[in-house]
Amino acid sequence: MEYNLKEKRIFLDDTMERKNLEIFLNNQGINLDNRLDYTVGIYKSDKLIATGSFYKNTIRCLAVNAECRGLGVLNKVVSHLMSEQFLRGFTHVFLYTKCNYVRFFSDLGFYEIARVDDSVVFMESEFNAIQKYSAELAKTSISADRISSIVINANPFTLGHLHLIEKASEENDIVHVFVVSEAESVIPFSVRYELIRKGTKHLKNIVLHKTGDYIISNATFPSYFIKDEETVVLIHAKLDLEVFKKYIVPALGIKSRYVGEEPYCMVTKKYNEVMKESLEKEGIKFKIIPRLKINGQAISASRVREYIREDKIEEIKGLVPDTTYDYFKSKEAEELIKTIKNSKSRH
Amino acid sequence: MMKIIKESIAGTLESSDIQIIIVSNENAGIEINLKSSVEKQFGKQIRKVITEVLKKMEIQNVKLVAVDKGALDCTIKARVECAVCRACGIKEQYDWEVID
Repeated sequence: MEYNLKEKRIFLDDTMERKNLEIFLNNQGINLDNRLDYTVGIYKSDKLIATGSFYKNTIRCLAVNAECRGLGVLNKVVSHLMSEQFLRGFTHVFLYTKCNYVRFFSDLGFYEIARVDDSVVFMESEFNAIQKYSAELAKTSISADRISSIVINANPFTLGHLHLIEKASEENDIVHVFVVSEAESVIPFSVRYELIRKGTKHLKNIVLHKTGDYIISNATFPSYFIKDEETVVLIHAKLDLEVFKKYIVPALGIKSRYVGEEPYCMVTKKYNEVMKESLEKEGIKFKIIPRLKINGQAISASRVREYIREDKIEEIKGLVPDTTYDYFKSKEAEELIKTIKNSKSRH
Repeated sequence: MMKIIKESIAGTLESSDIQIIIVSNENAGIEINLKSSVEKQFGKQIRKVITEVLKKMEIQNVKLVAVDKGALDCTIKARVECAVCRACGIKEQYDWEVID
């Protein structure tokens, strides 16, 4: 037991502190995640011996100096981060770790949700929470022969998304549509959800859901402990699908999943390939719907955002349903349009 | 009767301490989920101490998650009291007579 340890917040805006932390993490074989909200360091006579961070409700970049392992320093780090998370209102906390560390986190009150081979385990701080989520989902289950599913972000809802949903709706009895609820997109979840709801009103066999914390988007999947980018995409896709197959498919009796074809983004393309293999292995049909083209060009939400950014609202008319167009013309959307104009990010 | 108005946390995961997380449990009674490094030897006693504190503080519906690292009874008691006070939004005028 060590009594002379100090806990101190590390401010990443401070170049010196950031540099020190980076060196420390690199020595432990991990990188500094580029999106962190909070970082704490444990110091032994002013020498950094352990650290941990979080981004929103996910704990990240945990590391303990090799000489100091086995002294319960990690417990100190996790305790500190948990208290800080509660202060910020995050009471349901998640983390990703390598398989050989599961034992430690299990002792610290984390429960396993899903894992990918030998590479990563996804854990949460609430006991039985995923089982409860699954049970809640099951309440919306409707028995039918052909039950399908779609996961979309719809940032914002375009004719392309509508085409995908209509196609699935036509070919199935029930379609469960999961709208990504993470706040990583420039258009907030409430708006994206509303536009989908309004734009699909004419379809009677679809059920809308929010993804909650269990469908992980590549925006929040932490990659700091995985070496190259391709492996990151692969592992992320596999993990996401594990959760999908283990908890969502059985709850709703899903038989197929529809996705839009991805001609541009390599990451999504790779993701779709992994998805195909993984779903078909379990006997779930996987269907890629070619992108809807207008004037020879595939519709994409990023192009719609581009038009909005360039102040060409009229241009989006042919690319989005009337409901989406009307929204962006309304007074309500003024603030959002300003935000879109100021955002530089791809999402 | 005390009412839980928000989630709360008290204690740490360090040796000889216990971390208590409290979440409201609308009309579903008292639900305790305990993970302890000394579960086999003292699990029953830890649950007993937790339940007694909740009873004394008149908490009837609660989901309590405890991660114990070998805390003594007095520590367990103090951590549960603290978590309850935080969950009920009590910041001053603690009713020490009830607590003791």
